[in-house]
Amino acid sequence: MTLVLIAMIGALLIPMVEALQDEDIWQRMLAFASIATKTSVMILVIAVLQDDWMIGVVGVLILSVGNAALMLLAHIIKRVDDAMEG
Amino acid sequence: MTGYLNIILRLTIWFLLTADLSWANIVIGVGVTILLPRGVTNVGLLKDWLRTLGEVLVAIPQAYKEAFEIMLYPHREETVVLERVKPRRTPSLIFLDIFLITFTPKTIVQRYHNQGWYEVHYIQRRETP
Amino acid sequence: MINILSYTCIILGLVFWYWGTWPLLGRRSVLYKLHGLSVADTLGSMAIVVGLLLRIPHEWPLLVLALISLSIWNTVLGYVLAYCVTDDVTHDAGQEVSHGR
Repeated sequence: MTLVLIAMIGALLIPMVEALQDEDIWQRMLAFASIATKTSVMILVIAVLQDDWMIGVVGVLILSVGNAALMLLAHIIKRVDDAMEG
Repeated sequence: MTGYLNIILRLTIWFLLTADLSWANIVIGVGVTILLPRGVTNVGLLKDWLRTLGEVLVAIPQAYKEAFEIMLYPHREETVVLERVKPRRTPSLIFLDIFLITFTPKTIVQRYHNQGWYEVHYIQRRETP
Repeated sequence: MINILSYTCIILGLVFWYWGTWPLLGRRSVLYKLHGLSVADTLGSMAIVVGLLLRIPHEWPLLVLALISLSIWNTVLGYVLAYCVTDDVTHDAGQEVSHGR
């Protein structure tokens, strides 16, 4: 199970590098969305690894209210973009 | 119809989240479900609902199948296709349709036009002639 | 037996994660990367959660909720991002097809 966790941290590094290197805002949003999902699944895995289901409850809560903030942010960025152009 | 579906959805989330079937919990869940505000709902056809929910169940294995296809053979071409919305769709059914199309990895709905068209973004193995 | 099955699910999910996240580093369009992410983040994470579900079946209500919210949120976020990205690209969609390589 620890190996699985290490592999997950490795996968988490990819979108982080992408978020750092790319200037385009939408590519960054994509990377952030990926980070959000991956970390919450990692929380679930850690909960099983530690056998402490309270951590798991936190993970499920984060998943279920989850990406709403990112969706709102995407809409705001689009509005700002439109306002700057028009 | 969608009103009932809304209530069932809320109750499902509540019971899955609390995992507790005591009387007090059931009363709290039902109370909160009914008290939460509901938007204006349109009545859809029961048959359409059942068919679309069935398609959701079918979509899960199909999504995995498409995922393996993309992984084994590289899909490098991107195309945008306009697709017609089926007639007599209520907004919540259209939402489910968009969900279904976007859930499978090869297709993503880009945009929904009010005149009844989806813009669907495909990836394919080679360009269509 | 259950253990092997659960490890298979988790490793399958990890393979999906790596395969779908890798294209993020390339120079493709946002939409192409979105297809990869829908493989990685939706299907891969669902496979991992199913693997966890096999290990601790007594916590099924929360894990099923995790599965449902994972699929719905990721799909809707994919649609919203696609919608936001393509606003001013729509008129030259044909052009994008031609150099989509």
